[in-house]
Amino acid sequence: MSVLWQKRTHGVPRRRRQWERTVAIAIVALTLVVTLLILAYLTLVASNVRLARQIWKVGEAVMTQERVNEALRVEIARQSAIPRLQERSLALGFVPAEEVDFVRLDEEGGER
Amino acid sequence: MMRGPEARVRFITFLLIVVLMLLVMQLVRIQLLEHPAYAQEARALVERYYALPSPPWGLVTDRNGDLLVGNQPVFDVGAEVEMIGDPVAAAERLAPHLHRPVGEIVAALTLRPEEQNRTFVWHPLAQGISQADAEALSALHLPWLTLTPSWRRVYPEGHLAAHLLGFVNAEGDGYGLLAYEQRLLRGERVVQMGEVTGSSAPMPEEAVSGFTMPYPGTTLRLTIDRTIQAFVEGELDKALHDYSAESGTIIVMDPRTGAILAMASRPVYEPEHYASYAKEDETSLFLDPAISLAYEPGSVFKLVTVAAALDAGVADLDWSYEDRGYLDYGGIRVYNWDRRAYGQQDLEGLLAHSLNVGAATLATQALGAERFYDYVRAFGFGQTTGIELMEEAPGILRVPGDWQWKDSDLATNAFGQGIAVTPLQMATAVAAIANDGRLMTPYVVAERRYPDGRVVPILPREAGRPISARTARTMWTLMARAVEREVPQAQVPGYRIAGKTGTAQIPVEGGYDPEAIVASFVGFGPIPDPQLLVFVKLDRPHVPPEMRWGSTTAAPVFRRVASRLFTLLHIPPSEAAEGP
Repeated sequence: MSVLWQKRTHGVPRRRRQWERTVAIAIVALTLVVTLLILAYLTLVASNVRLARQIWKVGEAVMTQERVNEALRVEIARQSAIPRLQERSLALGFVPAEEVDFVRLDEEGGER
Repeated sequence: MMRGPEARVRFITFLLIVVLMLLVMQLVRIQLLEHPAYAQEARALVERYYALPSPPWGLVTDRNGDLLVGNQPVFDVGAEVEMIGDPVAAAERLAPHLHRPVGEIVAALTLRPEEQNRTFVWHPLAQGISQADAEALSALHLPWLTLTPSWRRVYPEGHLAAHLLGFVNAEGDGYGLLAYEQRLLRGERVVQMGEVTGSSAPMPEEAVSGFTMPYPGTTLRLTIDRTIQAFVEGELDKALHDYSAESGTIIVMDPRTGAILAMASRPVYEPEHYASYAKEDETSLFLDPAISLAYEPGSVFKLVTVAAALDAGVADLDWSYEDRGYLDYGGIRVYNWDRRAYGQQDLEGLLAHSLNVGAATLATQALGAERFYDYVRAFGFGQTTGIELMEEAPGILRVPGDWQWKDSDLATNAFGQGIAVTPLQMATAVAAIANDGRLMTPYVVAERRYPDGRVVPILPREAGRPISARTARTMWTLMARAVEREVPQAQVPGYRIAGKTGTAQIPVEGGYDPEAIVASFVGFGPIPDPQLLVFVKLDRPHVPPEMRWGSTTAAPVFRRVASRLFTLLHIPPSEAAEGP
């Protein structure tokens, strides 16, 4: 008589029943562990994707700021360019010096 | 033999096992054996080559860090054409911001016959659109419009040092420093394979899977000083106006290192708008006369002849000759510039009066062809100087053995005729005399600043020693006396100057132009500690014949430039250097 038939007709022998219970617990525990691992993995993947999007956004923000920075650098250079400085100096009433000479000082600091 | 439920259970179990085995086999086949092929197929569906926005080019600053070439953020505009319903209506909305005629935009927005069956068609619409226009275009909310960040080179100082800085076009061709150093200046663009979105933009996940950020270009700090450059350019413009000269060049150099402090040439162009010059067929403006256009140097070249004779030991300060006003050599007769005979003359008289006959006598009777041309080559003529600028010319130097060389060339070359040099070659050679006989390679890049923070200074390089320090010092004395005796226009109060004028005829077909000259002056000082060399060249000054000399046109420009630069560079007067 097969084991299956015994189960249907006479119930499971006691020792075998204990064994199958242990196996069932092990399978449930294993399933639980696997489920937890899968959950952890999925959480990690989701977190990675979120992080990637954040990095992407930060990267884009950095790039935007760099572009603003470059534009400002150029604007500052334009405003302090020599032709612009000359124009503004003349507007303020300055005139180019005809001659530039050294003022030579003696040891006491007096002009000689 | 089993019958009934057990047999059926066993049969079903067997069938399930067989099915399971088949599934496992399929899994093994797909996941292991044929995995690479399927993986590739999957990648082909989602992965494409994508390019990240271009990084900025390296900056170019002057020696004090003032910006000479920067980057203006701009946008390139394109359209996914297959998504557009009404190209005419779309073009009318875009035209004010793209600054292009509606007709051109309609053509760009219309699918071509060969593109009708494609699922993705992209056409470029405009390049270099400003931030304001890009924002206006974004506000239109057109899903098929693409805006790609890009950069445009800008020159905040306008045409200041235009020839030196130059430009690079989209094909990578160009002039000046930007073209020469473009591999350093150009940032590293990122083009790589990865997962992309429907519009071929990289997926955000790419940021954490082998994503490389674009690498900006290297910043170059130059040896030139924008204040000196601007001043020199102003003086050059003034000189061209005062003497009605067609073009000109001024080079300012530190003879001790070869560092170029300023280099200006006219006519000039706006490098930011180089494309418009190309459209107008004015590309000849792009060539830098200081390094690319050779001229006959005339009397300035006598410095090389005299230095060679002194260094070779075939002449000294006691050497003299009888100047009869002419010399016959190699089938030609060489005359002095004024066709006068000067009688007994020594080296000082030769330089002070700029005697062609004296220079020819030195080369033909004292030095000889072999030694003369050895010195000429040692001074760097007939070869490029090695400056970091594109399109440098080597000049024209014919030497014995060349099919074009003839005996008379030795006599004429001695006073700067029949030989063509660039202004930079001439300035560099005279700088060797100022630098105790050490020929320095001229350079314009003082420092490289890499994006990773490394700073690499560029050290001066010695290219050779054409003459000894003793010969160089003797030359200082001769040149200084020549200036004191004959060229008061070049003297700077308080500073002892060594220099030489040049008045060269301009070769034309069949001889020399009787009306036109190239006037030049090269000088350095203060003696005895030369820290500054200034070379001035004015082409075809339209002045009365009695004024048509290097001493009357180029020398006063030298004086103005040198006197201001001694002050700007805090170089004390000669008396202060020599002590009380």
